[in-house]
Amino acid sequence: MHYVIIGASAAGLSAAETVRLLDPQGAITLISEEAIRPYRRPMLTYLLGREAGLDDIWLRPPSHFYKLGVRALLGEGVVQVDPQAKEVHLAGGRVVRYDRLLVASGAQPRLLGIPGENLAGVFTLRHLADWQKLEANLRAGAAVAVVGAGPVGLKAAEALVRRGQRVILVEAEAGPLPRLLDQTAGFLLKQHLSGLGVELYFETRPVAILGDGGRVRALVLADGRELAVEVVLLAVGVRSRLEFFQGTSLASDGPISVSSFLQTQYPEIFAAGDCTAVPDFFSGKPTSYQIWPAAVSQGQVAGANMVGAGRRYAGLLPQNSISIQGFKIISGGLLAPDPQRTEVWSSFDDKRGVYRRLLFQEGCLVGVTLAGEVADAGIYFQIMAQKLPVKALPVDLRSPDFHPGKLWG
Amino acid sequence: MKTVIVRPERCVGCWQCRVACAVEHSRSKNLLGAMAEPVIPKARLRIFPGRLNLAFPNKCRHCDPAPCQQVCIAGAISRDPTRGVIDIAPERCINCGMCAMACPFGVLAYAPVWQVPEKRAVAVKCDQCPEREQAGRLPACVEACKVGALIYGDWETAQVEKGRLVAQAVFSGLLAQPEHAPPMPHTIRLWRQWG
Repeated sequence: MHYVIIGASAAGLSAAETVRLLDPQGAITLISEEAIRPYRRPMLTYLLGREAGLDDIWLRPPSHFYKLGVRALLGEGVVQVDPQAKEVHLAGGRVVRYDRLLVASGAQPRLLGIPGENLAGVFTLRHLADWQKLEANLRAGAAVAVVGAGPVGLKAAEALVRRGQRVILVEAEAGPLPRLLDQTAGFLLKQHLSGLGVELYFETRPVAILGDGGRVRALVLADGRELAVEVVLLAVGVRSRLEFFQGTSLASDGPISVSSFLQTQYPEIFAAGDCTAVPDFFSGKPTSYQIWPAAVSQGQVAGANMVGAGRRYAGLLPQNSISIQGFKIISGGLLAPDPQRTEVWSSFDDKRGVYRRLLFQEGCLVGVTLAGEVADAGIYFQIMAQKLPVKALPVDLRSPDFHPGKLWG
Repeated sequence: MKTVIVRPERCVGCWQCRVACAVEHSRSKNLLGAMAEPVIPKARLRIFPGRLNLAFPNKCRHCDPAPCQQVCIAGAISRDPTRGVIDIAPERCINCGMCAMACPFGVLAYAPVWQVPEKRAVAVKCDQCPEREQAGRLPACVEACKVGALIYGDWETAQVEKGRLVAQAVFSGLLAQPEHAPPMPHTIRLWRQWG
């Protein structure tokens, strides 16, 4: 049995390790476009803020693939996958035949499609090479515009402030992390961002990047304002990398949809990680939500299923944690709840800056946002993941003194 | 693996374990010194008033597999291969809050520690006192507990022992002699005699 895995990050690596655990004999080939060993992608913004060094980002020791008995083709991009012939064509002309294929090719940063994006001084932050380019072009004290207030944009803004840059944050929606946070949590986060000295521009979008001699000079917003900046960092989301399916029946514009066994329409082709739309935890509809822990667990499930374990993926429960200068917000659950069916409860302690918001549907907890104090977040997610009826719990989740002791004591 | 076992029914909520824990995780490792340190140490277990307002000590269970270890994006959380204990490396922690999101028991807290004074806060939780273990001593909280609510031992043995105690209590109840039944209150006896 020959297992071929495209992508050597969170999903690909955990899949390779799971396959090796369950099938000690099978041949495993891991293909990655990046010519370096797997690293912790979420650490890139910490690298930018100099809170972590290059030594801190590697996922596994250099000898890991050798010890695991995995043939790693690092630095070789995939140009075409032929599901009929069961072949993967690499950029160097090499052809790899597979019995089981895992597509964990991840995603690449989206661009805005506005004029001036090809100027020197426009960057994205997704790969280690992006960080190296950004690092080499960042003059100390220069003004940087970060476009997009998602997790990457927020953490990059914080990191740039740490380095002493002047930071401008531009976001099309009314608040930061628009997919996860409501108005109050967004307001709290905004307060912390402006406390850091980040200049915030919400509900506006950039329409052009102006250059001077091929270098960025200014960012033009939709309302006509011109912001003088030297560097523009685009953090406006990601797009699945599935170009190699061109011309096959798996070709799609968005992420690739998979069953709850993480299988595509070809039973021998599996997919996991940022390039997939996996069944949602609540509705079962294909959803994509790119977060590191989800990619790791999908890789484990897909790896086991490639060997034939028949494991079902429990479903994607969107959740994320963001920490800006020690102020933490953890949020997750239903992303866009139907207001007719959802009971929303929230409490806000102005003095301590602690906010708690719970969403209920049909007697079950379906969403939670905690800001300021997040120690008990995992308990809420556990109640959500087990779909426990809240009436049966020994304590009301909404009581002001809810804590684990009331649940188990 | 030997671990700290919590017996909540015995806890009286005196908080001496919390003091002992904070002192053990201070730089000077004594109470007076700890209070004078620039970074005030934090206890790694919490005592909540439970139902009926009985105390409930909550601490890390050192799960296997550990959800916090699986989600840690900085690789700061690892399992000690010899001790079997889940530990957090403060110099690698980036204070992102992912572990609090994953922990089903809510045991993580974020606080500054003396090992990395330049960091605003790092994730802290029970590390089961590695220095004490090396010296063959009990963990600080167990040593401090006066009522046997925190014991140090093998959890499988502790579970068998507790099962035996429960069984003993049930059997002694079943075997109780009828004459040990409480006498009828005299008011009821008088009422029946009356008519």
